[in-house]
Amino acid sequence: MSNRYLYAALCGAAAVLVTQPARSHEIVGNRMFPATLVIDDPGVADELSLPTVAISKTGDVPPVKEIDISGEYSKRITEDFAVSFAPTWTHLYAPGGPNMVGASGFQNIETTFKYRLFKNVEHEFVASVGLNIEWGASGAQDVGAERFNVYTPTFYFGKGFGDLPSSLNWARPFALTGQFGYAIPGSNTTVTVDPDTGDIDTEFNPRVLVWGASLQYSLPYLKSAVADIGLPDFVNHLIPLVEASLQTPVSNTFSSGTVTTGTINPGVIWVGDKFQVGVEAMIPVNRQSGSNVGAIGQIHFFLDDIFPNSIGRPIFGNGIASGQPAFGSKP
Amino acid sequence: MRHLSKIATAFTVILIPAAALAHAMLDRASPRVGSTVASAPKELLLWFTEKLEPAFSTAEVHNAQGATVQSGKAHVDGSDRTELRVPLKALPPGIYLVSWRVLSVDTHRTQGSFTFKVGP
Repeated sequence: MSNRYLYAALCGAAAVLVTQPARSHEIVGNRMFPATLVIDDPGVADELSLPTVAISKTGDVPPVKEIDISGEYSKRITEDFAVSFAPTWTHLYAPGGPNMVGASGFQNIETTFKYRLFKNVEHEFVASVGLNIEWGASGAQDVGAERFNVYTPTFYFGKGFGDLPSSLNWARPFALTGQFGYAIPGSNTTVTVDPDTGDIDTEFNPRVLVWGASLQYSLPYLKSAVADIGLPDFVNHLIPLVEASLQTPVSNTFSSGTVTTGTINPGVIWVGDKFQVGVEAMIPVNRQSGSNVGAIGQIHFFLDDIFPNSIGRPIFGNGIASGQPAFGSKP
Repeated sequence: MRHLSKIATAFTVILIPAAALAHAMLDRASPRVGSTVASAPKELLLWFTEKLEPAFSTAEVHNAQGATVQSGKAHVDGSDRTELRVPLKALPPGIYLVSWRVLSVDTHRTQGSFTFKVGP
């Protein structure tokens, strides 16, 4: 394989594996769903993730070390509708050692429109729908940014288990969140011509099921809603969790194949009143997903709590930050 | 990357000192959340992470049969606006459900519930 094709493969892998910037937090009654690091949580809010830093090694042969630094700003237009913008800067280290040339640049900018559809306090349940758009040609081709848009309609949900019977008190701090999206590329194929040989290469851009989940155990919930057992204050702010972020090509898969790729991420989030800090390991689910365990960390600011009377409130809506989704109950 | 790091640091420095208000979440309670107390408390005390709006902050206490066991209305403490006080009737042994709904001074509304037990 020539260096050109090797590099193209690396860029493709980077485009697939690049960390999705994100993540809002959501409060539903007793339950606070934190901003998860690699999948989006089920709510909408005014918030800022900056920075999110991920280090990993791609599944290529030889593997390439990759660093992604991303941010996301999310702004509520109404109480239940938000728009977010997320740039990601990527650096790909040179394969085979420092003598070869790596690549750096921004990935395509992503915009997500998200609407909170349903909220039920009693059962700690919330659901939202959204549309994520990756704007083609807004990033650098050197790091795998495609020239076409990708549209991903997505369903998000969160369910806390605080409604379990008291005999299962130990399980009530658990919560499950998830997302299911269908990524539709704006172009079915990408045609490239090798300037040296004149060879034409046609790559089929697959439609991809983008799915994931998180299982959380909230120690803040344990203290405030189940049992205050006198743990140290720092521990009472922790939410241990496991996230899974997966992608499965499902159609137009002539080039990509249909193998599911992604990572399983055990980690922990410290949640404060105005910001949270999270760190997770990134364990590839198979060889195509990566060749080593990576790591991701994030600082996330709750702008609705930091600036409740200015940029932290919806542009349109009442003065009380309560929220009334289309269906369900108030928080 | 150096520039991004500087930008991130600047945001952190700017945002954290500005932090003054937030959602009012339950910080602690007396009797403690989920605890068993030997003698019946005369008052339930709830402390929150933010100051409360007295007119829009309340709590109720019910016994296992769903009957209210308060001897008066819940009220925000005059000297500590993070504290919500609920006067109680004489409580016989049993399990009690506390339901609170508060509005923080920055207009964030929150609510929650927990139980405590009176008895051996």
